[in-house]
Amino acid sequence: MYFYLSPVYYLAQEAAEGFSVVALANQLVNGIGIVGILLLTGLGLAITFGVMRIINLAHGEFIMLGAYTTFVLQSAFNLDLLLTIPFAFIITAAIGALVEISIIRRLYGRPLETLLATWGLSIVLQGVIKLIFTAQLKYVRSPSYISGNLTLLKDAQGTPTVAISYYRLFIVIVALALLALTGYLLYRTNLGRQVRAVTQNRSMAQCLGVNTSLVDMATFAYGCGLAGVAGAVISSLKSVAPPMGQDYLVDAWMTVVTGGVDRLVGVLAGAFLIGESNATIAYLLNDPTARVIVLFAVIILIRYKPEGLFSIQKRG
Amino acid sequence: MTQTIGVAQKSKTPTKLAIVTAIIFIIMAILPFFIGNFQTSLLSKLLLFGTLAVSLDLVWGFTGILSFAHGVFFTLGGYAMAYYLKLNLSAEANTYGVALPDFMVWNGLEKLPWFIAPLQYFIVAAIAMVAVPAIFAYLIGWFIFRSKVSGVYITIITLAISSALTTFFVSQQAYTGGTNGITDVSELSIFGANIPLIGLYWMILIFTTAVLIGSWWLTQSNFGLILRSIKENENRISFLGYDVASFKIFIWTLSAGIAGITGGLFVPLNRFISPVYLAVAFGTQVVIWVAIGGRGTLIGPLVAAILLGQIQNSAEQVTQDWQLIVGILLLIVVLFIPDGLVGSIVNLFDRKSARAK
Repeated sequence: MYFYLSPVYYLAQEAAEGFSVVALANQLVNGIGIVGILLLTGLGLAITFGVMRIINLAHGEFIMLGAYTTFVLQSAFNLDLLLTIPFAFIITAAIGALVEISIIRRLYGRPLETLLATWGLSIVLQGVIKLIFTAQLKYVRSPSYISGNLTLLKDAQGTPTVAISYYRLFIVIVALALLALTGYLLYRTNLGRQVRAVTQNRSMAQCLGVNTSLVDMATFAYGCGLAGVAGAVISSLKSVAPPMGQDYLVDAWMTVVTGGVDRLVGVLAGAFLIGESNATIAYLLNDPTARVIVLFAVIILIRYKPEGLFSIQKRG
Repeated sequence: MTQTIGVAQKSKTPTKLAIVTAIIFIIMAILPFFIGNFQTSLLSKLLLFGTLAVSLDLVWGFTGILSFAHGVFFTLGGYAMAYYLKLNLSAEANTYGVALPDFMVWNGLEKLPWFIAPLQYFIVAAIAMVAVPAIFAYLIGWFIFRSKVSGVYITIITLAISSALTTFFVSQQAYTGGTNGITDVSELSIFGANIPLIGLYWMILIFTTAVLIGSWWLTQSNFGLILRSIKENENRISFLGYDVASFKIFIWTLSAGIAGITGGLFVPLNRFISPVYLAVAFGTQVVIWVAIGGRGTLIGPLVAAILLGQIQNSAEQVTQDWQLIVGILLLIVVLFIPDGLVGSIVNLFDRKSARAK
């Protein structure tokens, strides 16, 4: 049972007692940490679902693979967490490419079948990792230079009242950097143009000489690579274990669906909305209630705006 | 998309089918005398899981709504029955001197909450195990089917519901027993008469058979035809003047009601219920049974649930990694046998009979 250790839950645990503006501000600042995690985990999905329309239920397992990559590199070569991030990207992207070639490729245009296949894949990945590393929890050390808190506000005695840990800031910065990089790749490069062409009109792109199967593979691999980076960054927040991906799956989905699947900025908006409303409600009531309320709010949102809050208006 | 309908379902006169069903039923009914208690209780459990899968098949295989929330309906029915059995036990043998379940005492409740109190009567619990999931499903169905929400998003909504309710049940420890759920429930007794394992098995067998026959009848009727048309082309059927949403809501609610009863029967067998059955993982398990058995075949999901359950049981004795086998099996089925095991067998026979003509 891992669900109650969900990341949203985990980061929102330091709720203050009694109502005060300062405590609420603290909670909102800490909510930024949740926003960062949601953004990180949602970004890969925004590529595989938003761009490619693949229902990837194995997304959480790619996060898990990224976390395990960090664990292996750290225990074998004593590598710094920051330095393992590129390796996490490369390894999960490679596995993603393999998966695209062997499974996803056969199922384009059948969304419910991809959903089932990726769920099967997620069970297999969990099983394989469990065979290799056993079900035991593994721990990853976070680098010493990003521990500690950044104090934003002090009270009269000089004790910090509004503070945010450097680690949360680090998560947010990585997430924003990846968002910017993805936006750049998608909208400013030749490859990105090809990706958008393929998703908008596959046969037309093919006629114009775009290698669609290569583009598909590259896009899916990139989405999985992003999940791997998320895993590496998150790995030291709590223990690394085979079922850890499940915690992030539903939250990542909610983030992408809330923001709107057409544009990258939607993920940012979705993460911000879910993260901050969760922090606020958690402050006013309590954490589980906040999670339940936010999830039901997202359900209501999907009902009225299936395309998400920040989607491009389509005609007809 | 070709529709997979069982061979038997196609025959106009179900005499053959009725005879086969009767024979299987009789064999199943006397089976417990030969296989011992452990296998009997395992088989009862698998029959229930199979029936749960059949209820999902009604909405997924026939109407095209893929739901991960059937574990939720199952658990809601299960909790209704668990409260009854727990209260039943607390009334007779209570170590705390009050007629309160132990987990409520631990969590500081002093008297039975008003919404749980009626469940100490069997009739109320029996109605609640159908009505609670059905009403919950009706509300969800009414909410999502009367809108433009399409297939995949409905599936995502069911994921969210499952996740939200899991969190909710875990957090409301005083009322639901938290992560542990409701444990140590009494044996099932109806109006003072204790039901032994074999009696429970027969009840479950009769229920499974009734659900199968009922579903078969329903999907053979005009109503079933409309459901299948909705799956094939929703717009066309709505242009013909059918209110698609009402049909969807009806079958969704009915399916949830059946799932609730399977949950209610599961509790006296399993002797506990917990949020494990609410979680996404169990909901997916149901989906896997239907996918492997064959969508739209009714009997397929039942066969898959029993088969996979037996595989799991024997695999568990050898290795802890039986789930890996299930995952690989699911991948193989989705990639190479999209109609599922039973669906493919049916197709094979269809092709043979077509060639014979």
